[in-house]
Amino acid sequence: MLSTTYSIALSGIEGSLVNVEVDVGNGLPSWDIVGLPDAVVRESKERVRTAIKNSDLTLPNKKIVVNLAPAHTKKEGAIFDLAIAIGILKNANVIQDQSLEEYIFIGELSLDGSINKVKGILVMCMAAKAFGKTKILVPYENRFEAGVVKDINVIPVKNLKEVVDLLNNKTKIEPFVSESINLKTVVDTKIDFSDVRGQENVKRALEIVAAGSHNCLLIGSPRFWKNHAFRKITYDFARTNI
Amino acid sequence: MLSERLLTILPELTFNEALEITKLQSVAGILPDDVSLVTKRPFRSPHHKASIISLLGGGQNPKPGEISLAHYGVLFLDELPEFSRSALESLRGPLEDAQITISRTNSTVTYPCNFIFMASMNPCPCGHLNDKKKACVCTPTQISNYKNKISGPILDRIDLHVEVERVDYKKLQSDEHLESSEQIRERVNRARKIQLERYESEGIISNSELSSVQIEKYCKLNDETKIFLENAFNVYGYSARTYSRILKIARTIADLEEKENIELQHVAEAIQYRTLDRSNANE
Repeated sequence: MLSTTYSIALSGIEGSLVNVEVDVGNGLPSWDIVGLPDAVVRESKERVRTAIKNSDLTLPNKKIVVNLAPAHTKKEGAIFDLAIAIGILKNANVIQDQSLEEYIFIGELSLDGSINKVKGILVMCMAAKAFGKTKILVPYENRFEAGVVKDINVIPVKNLKEVVDLLNNKTKIEPFVSESINLKTVVDTKIDFSDVRGQENVKRALEIVAAGSHNCLLIGSPRFWKNHAFRKITYDFARTNI
Repeated sequence: MLSERLLTILPELTFNEALEITKLQSVAGILPDDVSLVTKRPFRSPHHKASIISLLGGGQNPKPGEISLAHYGVLFLDELPEFSRSALESLRGPLEDAQITISRTNSTVTYPCNFIFMASMNPCPCGHLNDKKKACVCTPTQISNYKNKISGPILDRIDLHVEVERVDYKKLQSDEHLESSEQIRERVNRARKIQLERYESEGIISNSELSSVQIEKYCKLNDETKIFLENAFNVYGYSARTYSRILKIARTIADLEEKENIELQHVAEAIQYRTLDRSNANE
């Protein structure tokens, strides 16, 4: 039997859709992952197998072939673990027949079945939205970053069992939306020009740099322009001597 | 650090800029878990032993380097002459194009890298050249060797050279009220707005991006200023490249004062920021 789930592969700051095809058929029990996987992806069979076992789910004792299409692009990282596991469980009828067309699965599996965070989640969410998918399952720890993307349901998941229950409609997980951030109100108050004494010419130059986005070279002994520290030292020194 | 304070006077990020910075940090794997969107411009200051790959980005499946992580922020290279020559030269292209294409056997990736390039250096190996209080002990050969570590093409890409001087003890102890970053940022924002409006049809957003054709169009000088600049040229032996740098800086200074035309005092101030061209001419 064949099932297809979807995930996203990263290429720079672009994402491309990957069809994770899983076939479970008769033959000697074995595992194969094809479709230009790197070493980390190839190792995912061990993670997926153990994660399924430790989540009290059944792994079919059959010949399993996983294909990551398109087969010509190099696949990197452990992000396909979840998609592969779901594909297998769908085949084993652990996940009842429900269309997985609208889902994107992203996450690295831990041996105990929990889902670990991955890199580049924001790019993947934006790509998922661009490919017209409506739901994306992301590792719980990545939820803040993923929640920035609007118009797609970002569903944070903690472990494999939770995903299976979700797909079987046994539980419900509310889509996560990050609080909107007002960029205008974010000011770093720890450092400020008002605590730099002297160096008026440098301050003026930096103002010009900021105003015109110019490049700039400061020439002088670092002793002089790391003067903030200097000022603090003289102050402390003066105090201890009183 | 003085250089880090540049961040406090840069304009606020737009949403798209913030998104792009977040994407790069996310792909590089340096985004903290509880952060949904990066709200601060990045400030990257790699050590001077940094390799070309760590600066430009790379790896089997190319990851962004320091220049891309400084996108929409500041790339600060402390002790510029200590960087390896090849590392510095590799920055030439990215400084011009604001993007870097990294090709490897597996994939070819393009990352954006639109940053403000900032660097610092000693005036000479001992650090006391031009110091009013302490004498420099370097030989002229040592000084010129030290300066020559930075090639002409890299210097050409730097608009402002700023000499940082010793601060008097009196100044350090004075209680005069100093301008806050917020006050400075207001002026910067106004100047940026003027530029955005002026260059709306040109597809650029700031004076630093002006091409030579655009400089002719937007940096017109009156007769008095032309004569002044000509004199400066004859005295200091400036190059054509320096000429366009001076005009760009003068344009920014005029924008900060919200003046439509570049005036004499703007050009005069701009010339002060080309100290290296001057000292080279003297040698």
